[in-house]
Amino acid sequence: MGAGRVHEQVTVRESSNRSGSVPPSDAGAAAAAPGSGDRSGGASPLSRVPRVLRSSLLRVAGRRLLTAIPVVWGVTFLTFAVLNLLPGDAAQALLGADATPQEVARLRVELHLNEPFLTRYGHWLGSAVTGHLGSSLGSGQLVTTILAQRLPVTFELILYAFVISLVIAIPVATVAARRPGGVFDSITTFITMIGLSIAPYILALLLILLFSVDLALFPALGWTPVSGGLGANLRSLTLPALSLGFPIGCFYTRLLRADVIEQLGEDYVVTAVAKGLPSWRVLVRHAVPNSMFGLITVVALNVGTLLGGTVIVEQIFGLPGVGQELFQAIQTRDFPVLEGIVAVFAVVVVVVGLLADLLYAVLDPRIRYDNPGQ
Amino acid sequence: MTIPVNDALPVPGGLPAPGGPGVADAAAASGAARGRGRLRRSLALCLPAGFLILLIAACFLWPLVGSVPSPVGGSVLDSSLPIGSPGHLLGTDADGNDIFSRLLYGGRVSLEVGAATQLIGIALGGLIGMIAGFSRGLLAAVLMRVLDVLIAFPSLVLALAIAEGLGPGELHVIWALSFYSVPAFARLARAGTLKLRDQNFMLAASLGGTPRWRIVLLHLAPNLLPQLLTFALLGAGVAIIQEGALSFLSLGVPPPGASWGNMIASGEQTMSVQPALVIIPCLALLITVATLNLLGDALRARWSAR
Repeated sequence: MGAGRVHEQVTVRESSNRSGSVPPSDAGAAAAAPGSGDRSGGASPLSRVPRVLRSSLLRVAGRRLLTAIPVVWGVTFLTFAVLNLLPGDAAQALLGADATPQEVARLRVELHLNEPFLTRYGHWLGSAVTGHLGSSLGSGQLVTTILAQRLPVTFELILYAFVISLVIAIPVATVAARRPGGVFDSITTFITMIGLSIAPYILALLLILLFSVDLALFPALGWTPVSGGLGANLRSLTLPALSLGFPIGCFYTRLLRADVIEQLGEDYVVTAVAKGLPSWRVLVRHAVPNSMFGLITVVALNVGTLLGGTVIVEQIFGLPGVGQELFQAIQTRDFPVLEGIVAVFAVVVVVVGLLADLLYAVLDPRIRYDNPGQ
Repeated sequence: MTIPVNDALPVPGGLPAPGGPGVADAAAASGAARGRGRLRRSLALCLPAGFLILLIAACFLWPLVGSVPSPVGGSVLDSSLPIGSPGHLLGTDADGNDIFSRLLYGGRVSLEVGAATQLIGIALGGLIGMIAGFSRGLLAAVLMRVLDVLIAFPSLVLALAIAEGLGPGELHVIWALSFYSVPAFARLARAGTLKLRDQNFMLAASLGGTPRWRIVLLHLAPNLLPQLLTFALLGAGVAIIQEGALSFLSLGVPPPGASWGNMIASGEQTMSVQPALVIIPCLALLITVATLNLLGDALRARWSAR
């Protein structure tokens, strides 16, 4: 009974707070779980937290994975449609401008490009469901092989970028929130303003200028696989990860700082201070963990945008990742490759959203109220 | 792209911007401090607004009024002049084109793309969002699902595909980037509409027999507009960054036409020798986007203070 009341309260506070400041969570929630529950106004994923706690986590996970199906379908269909609407097709793109019309026509028949749009999409979908993503129209390589080669690079890059952003955001926001308006806070506000305005590709170029050209600390180009040593591997990814991670780190800093300041005004903080806890302990053990929900939501939502952001960063640093392949696939209208990449992206976005939901439950101390030990 | 501002959609009457002046006025308890806070807030609004006007004037009027060398057709004899050369304030690039002039003309492209994508977003996205929020039927559900997919989509893929398909050019960049702005504004307008839908003035209008299209356009739209315009400032910054990205991937304004993105891209090739060719357009882009962000933040703080 008591626990139930707490759920209610916190849910109301969270949704009134978050639905506003981070509306894409609405987008993400709706996209990840079409047709589920109350979606009016700015319902955030957080409004689902109590339900996560009530039902078994596994069942929630299963349901969320099921809702991924329409999203993945929609995304692949849209990709197919857009690629189909573009002038020019794979046959023309593969053979180049010099090809005779006969050659183009022959390749078109070979690649089944003359069949109606829906038939081709149906074909692709039918085999994709069974795990056969087809092979590249250009190189003839299996799409699964291409993905297996390229995804690890991109995933490592994104993971590294997230680590950097959180390593920046959590401590900086915590210290800044201790004294809002203080010197450290003002400096932080200024720097995050720049970080929010800088594009990853601009940061990438400036970093190359500083660290590769002037200081020669990091390589400006190329990627070393893990087999070439973890140190060398990380070194080759540091600048790309920094150019992706710093701007989002600045965004997280702002978000978390505002949340921590808000939490510091809550009653439980007053209680913690009143019972004589040192202020850093109040901050680190109470206020900051309770401020994590917004951050988790946004991190989960950012995965999608970050996947898009890798395209240009991989291009600049010459990383053999999925982003480069994606750019190429668009240029050559290589739809099996593009569909494969986009489908994987969509699945990743949905799975990360699910992980975020599970993390809410882990982070939420109220789940312990339900334990018999309490 | 990973432009976080993208995610910081402003709120229908929501929180002040994180880190914005909203926190400052909580601390300002005494009268003097409150006065200082007000001064700071109006400065936070006026400085970026003034700078933005200066920027627009410089890009659009300076080449008409002042004497600026042509941005294209420079002579190879003048190539790669350093900053401060006579006649070339910021020097010249490898083709002998005046960098300052290219900066101004490139700024035109950036500002035009920023403004156009946001206007399309407000008009089209705002309309879609208002319809989706106002009507309660199947139409609303279908519209929202389509927007969900559009938003869940890695948007750069769509922009890249469209820009690639249409070929390079400023207008095509605008079409491609509108695929970002329309769903974002539609979401925002829908959320705002849901909040306003059941308020008394809306109820009064519909009880008075006002036709639905009139309610949407004359009662609903004016109430949503401030919020959409504030978001447009942040969105314009994002669009400018995206335009640079597309130009950088040679899908934007084709050379020799000037755009900050293709200036950065061409400067990158000689970056180790002439870093200024990269740094100057990068700074121009950064400052412009920062100005738009500051102005958007200040406006948002002002709206939410009411």
